[in-house]
Amino acid sequence: MSTAKVGAVLVVGGGIAGIQASLDLAESGYFVYLVESSPAIGGTMAMLDKTFPTNDCSMCILSPKLVECGRHLNIKILTMADVVDVRGEPGNFTVTVRQRPRYVDVEKCKGCGECAEACPIEVPSEFNQGIGERKAIYKPYAQAYPNAYVIDKENCIECGSCEEACQAGAIDHSMAEETLELNVGAIVLCPGFEKFDASQLFYYGYGRFPNVITSLEFERILSASGPFQGHMVRPYDKKEPRRIAWIQCVGSRNFRLDHGYCSSVCCMYAIKEAIVAKEHTKEPLETTIFFMDMRTYGKGFEKYYERAKEQGVRFVRSRIYEITEVEDGSKNLRIRYANEDGSISVEEFDLVVLSVGLEPSPAARELCQRLGLELNRYGFVELGSFTGIATSRPGIFVAGAFCGPKDIPETVMQASAAAGEAATLLAEARGTLVREKEFPPEKDVRGEEPRIGVFVCHCGINIGSVVRVPEVVEMAKNLPHVVYAGEYLYACSQDSQAAMKQIIDEYKINRVVVASCSPRTHRPLFQETIREAGLNKALFEMANIRDQCSWVHMNEPDKATEKAKDLVKMAVAKAALLEPVPQISAGVTKAALVVGGGVSGMTSALSLADLGYQVHLVEKEGELGGVARRIREGLKGEDVPSFLRSLIEKVKAHPKIELHLGTEVKETAGYVGNFVTTLTSGKEIQHGVTVIATGAREYKPSEYLYGESDRVFTQLELEEALAQGDPRVSGAKTAVLIQCVGSREPERPYCSRICCAKSVKLALKLKEQNPQMKVFVLYRDIRTYGFLEDLYLEARRKGVIFIRYTPENKPVVEKADGFIRVTATDHVLGVPVIIEADILGLAAAIVPQETNHQLSQLFKVPLNEDGFFLEAHMKLRPVDFASEGIFLAGLAHGPKNLEENIAQAKAAAGRASTVLSKKVLESHGMVAVVQQDKCAACLTCVRLCAYNAPRIRNYAAYIEPLLCQGCGTCAGECPNKAITLHGYKDHMQMALSGALFKEV
Amino acid sequence: MIVAQQKNIKDIAEMVADAQKVLLAGCAGCVTVCLAGGEKETEVLAAALRIMRKLQGNPLETVTYVATRQCDPEYIEAMDGLVKDVDAVISLACGVGVQYLAERFKDKWVVPALDTKFVGGAVKHGVWEERCGLCGDCVLHRTGGICPIIRCSKSILNGPCGGSQNGKCEISKDVDCAWQLIYDRMKALGKLDKLMEIQMPKDWSKARDGGPRRAIREDVIIG
Repeated sequence: MSTAKVGAVLVVGGGIAGIQASLDLAESGYFVYLVESSPAIGGTMAMLDKTFPTNDCSMCILSPKLVECGRHLNIKILTMADVVDVRGEPGNFTVTVRQRPRYVDVEKCKGCGECAEACPIEVPSEFNQGIGERKAIYKPYAQAYPNAYVIDKENCIECGSCEEACQAGAIDHSMAEETLELNVGAIVLCPGFEKFDASQLFYYGYGRFPNVITSLEFERILSASGPFQGHMVRPYDKKEPRRIAWIQCVGSRNFRLDHGYCSSVCCMYAIKEAIVAKEHTKEPLETTIFFMDMRTYGKGFEKYYERAKEQGVRFVRSRIYEITEVEDGSKNLRIRYANEDGSISVEEFDLVVLSVGLEPSPAARELCQRLGLELNRYGFVELGSFTGIATSRPGIFVAGAFCGPKDIPETVMQASAAAGEAATLLAEARGTLVREKEFPPEKDVRGEEPRIGVFVCHCGINIGSVVRVPEVVEMAKNLPHVVYAGEYLYACSQDSQAAMKQIIDEYKINRVVVASCSPRTHRPLFQETIREAGLNKALFEMANIRDQCSWVHMNEPDKATEKAKDLVKMAVAKAALLEPVPQISAGVTKAALVVGGGVSGMTSALSLADLGYQVHLVEKEGELGGVARRIREGLKGEDVPSFLRSLIEKVKAHPKIELHLGTEVKETAGYVGNFVTTLTSGKEIQHGVTVIATGAREYKPSEYLYGESDRVFTQLELEEALAQGDPRVSGAKTAVLIQCVGSREPERPYCSRICCAKSVKLALKLKEQNPQMKVFVLYRDIRTYGFLEDLYLEARRKGVIFIRYTPENKPVVEKADGFIRVTATDHVLGVPVIIEADILGLAAAIVPQETNHQLSQLFKVPLNEDGFFLEAHMKLRPVDFASEGIFLAGLAHGPKNLEENIAQAKAAAGRASTVLSKKVLESHGMVAVVQQDKCAACLTCVRLCAYNAPRIRNYAAYIEPLLCQGCGTCAGECPNKAITLHGYKDHMQMALSGALFKEV
Repeated sequence: MIVAQQKNIKDIAEMVADAQKVLLAGCAGCVTVCLAGGEKETEVLAAALRIMRKLQGNPLETVTYVATRQCDPEYIEAMDGLVKDVDAVISLACGVGVQYLAERFKDKWVVPALDTKFVGGAVKHGVWEERCGLCGDCVLHRTGGICPIIRCSKSILNGPCGGSQNGKCEISKDVDCAWQLIYDRMKALGKLDKLMEIQMPKDWSKARDGGPRRAIREDVIIG
């Protein structure tokens, strides 16, 4: 009695994971309910100032996603809502959601903020971590979606001031809690994390000393939208600190508090905060990070760490005893700590930042208990082995920090993977519940005299209280070609939109100018409106008289009014020259090419095939499996060979997967949706997407007697020897494992990420086989991030001896009679220790495939300096290439463990399905075009385009409209002005500035 | 291609200080590709000169035109109409283009906006390097495809000299020793023995030293 599957998915949690999962699902043909318990989506990422390792502004990269998610026709966002109950089975769940009252009608509220101005009650702002205030009626942060206020009833005194102030009539004190029943086929949980409450650790003084703050509080202090507008001051006395200390592992790697795990992200965010702090001041700033192991294990992280050292960030390997306040009234802090050699130091700082760890929120834990999901000992969701995203309950998937501390790219990756898996589960119901926007046929306005309509917005009193809107309207009426000008309280409200359509019809308007707020948030809305009125969306121009006028000149109404007039004049002058831009679209070949038949490639291939798409899996070797064939056991003790066998069987048996073994890619051409690839076998494949999952190799060491003594193994060789009961290993009395062999070296400056955990695992395995064996691990930093830290603790408890070495003083390995002599300097005693080892295991680096360079040229996708493939954006597009339609997964992207590779492979499949699920791909219209007779084929556009859109074809450049993102770089740089950008042609921009300077 | 770079704008302005109206003539050939004299640079230079002169209280009128090439008579004929009522012509072509314009427009003051640097190519966007010395008697088949005439500071034919240190030329740590490059390449090709042959002194009369040169293809000449 199986019920039909439902083509909708519930996503719980509106942080970056929930947003990404929702967007991927909605773009793949599923309706999404996004349930968020706070009043706005955005999560923790919205609170961050910058993001590592690129130092991108967090809000700048997040807010386009907020807008996209908020506007998506097939994503229904329910804020202030919690999941109460889930019934049913995978494919068909009934979910009960309770939505708390907001007391503000989201449809009516335009986010103008008049209510908060009027509200007399101030309470500490949660978003700013309690530094600074918000009102009892508030919007969590400026860019929040929904762009609507909310009343905090606990603090509201019901004085009625907000109701009086609200011109939109949005406030409704009578709202009550609502219970909704949602029917969905799958559930993706992304409730995120909470920060560790540092006041539990009395000796750090958090909550007792005002100048001891958390890292998240420091993020808000650094943020331009934070309580001090980005001025880096101590909250206590608003003075700029000269000496700041960061203390790592606060609430992490602490088994006394049952927080034995590593929080994975704190090392990097502390380095980032130290670097950014230095940028925030012109005065010298001392920054010191007190740490145990520096865990910069991710892609590009080690370089970031090295750069921080060059920029003068001081790193002190230490254990903190306590923090006390200096008793001279300065409220400075004194840190007493033990150095690595056991000596004690005391130092004074103006500000101490606690790098607090991540923990699951009690509410999310409770939800999991209600859903019957298995949690691990720390209360995080336990993932099914080698699934990357599955919980213990079928049909419920998880992404983000809730299944273990992780950074943004891994969170995004997992979100795409969970979305992909949910999509696969519901493949038969794809497209059944999504809606498509339909527009009337476009009027042909070419050759018509321009008839411009100007719509000027008051934005409540945001614009209207500064700029004299009626004057602007009167002025606009007299501008050339203007046939209508009018004023609106909120141009974006539904009634204004309806009026706009009617007026376009009535006045036969063929160009529209809206003078209001930011095109970034509102252009798509207005463009949709004019399309509904039968106009091409390119016949639209916007003047930002709020953000760029009334807000910044609020004390100069006369000048602001004049400026608003100028801005409108400019927009009108340009609008008169606007031309309709045809929408270019192309079909999609519903097939995928996956390059690489290792675990990642096979996983991607299976996901896509299960979604119903034809998959061509190309593997250069004669058999599937890749480097995983050499792995015996996973980090959690999983049986890798049987997992691999079953994966290979599934791939081989799948009717939608065509295998091309012993084959490589010879040539490839085309663009997203329409690639044509020729294999070395001569076969030609048509496909809509490409996934590159070509893996990596284990480095063959040239150091530590490798290849010169049969007692020296790499990790993979040692694993093999252990499994086969090799007498060299089983008979050994002493084993030494050396870390960072070929990694974190000048010629290979990256960390290979997985070798620490692997060595710890091997050490435990050796101890398990022979508890009497002496096992030493010689390391630089032990990087057992996340729950892998448990393995490290277990190894130390079982007597594995860890000795740290420095790159300047590496272990010396010599052949001796019947053993290998290893000499290392003990980091505590400071004296050389000689170990007579029977076997030596080398944690050899993970190195990129030699063929990467060739593939990079073939597919026109970039490599990073280390030779791994480089994704489109280190933070938010971790499995996409900048070239549309090409994705990457697995070790080809950089070192990762099996579990992580599987998640990434599923993510690549999930992202690829957003392309394959489309009937047609549409260019966004405002693309660059080449006038071919003027083109000198100089390659400037080809070299500069970030999206690989231009190619030289028949001795001139051609820009593929489906790849062009409309950034305009090529048009600006073309030395012969052969390229123009639709909507931004020279004469339009000249008319625009001409209108401004007409009277000058 | 020919690689050129724009002169200092003050020097260009000085050359046309007496003019009230000028024609700026770009070229869509080599100088467009090396980002020195295409339509963009032509328009930018025109605007800059206008602004400069306006600030000096002596406004300048500009007309712009970009020829397909300035080194062919047919392409510059098209400028006849524009040249008529200007006081001077600023060519954004290489030295060839400037001379072609000067030859055609005999009564006009024709000036160069560019310094013609060398014959070379792009090594990456925005960086060009010299590759050919125009010696008129190519020796690349003897030197592994690396030109000692132009890439060796001394143009020696039997290198390297004593100034080659760690692969660099003694004139600068940024200049590769051409003979090191030649040696490395010949070694990679397994042709080191070829370098044992002593090169006789070059016939420099085929180069610029023989006076102005002319190339003729009898078979294609009409009439």
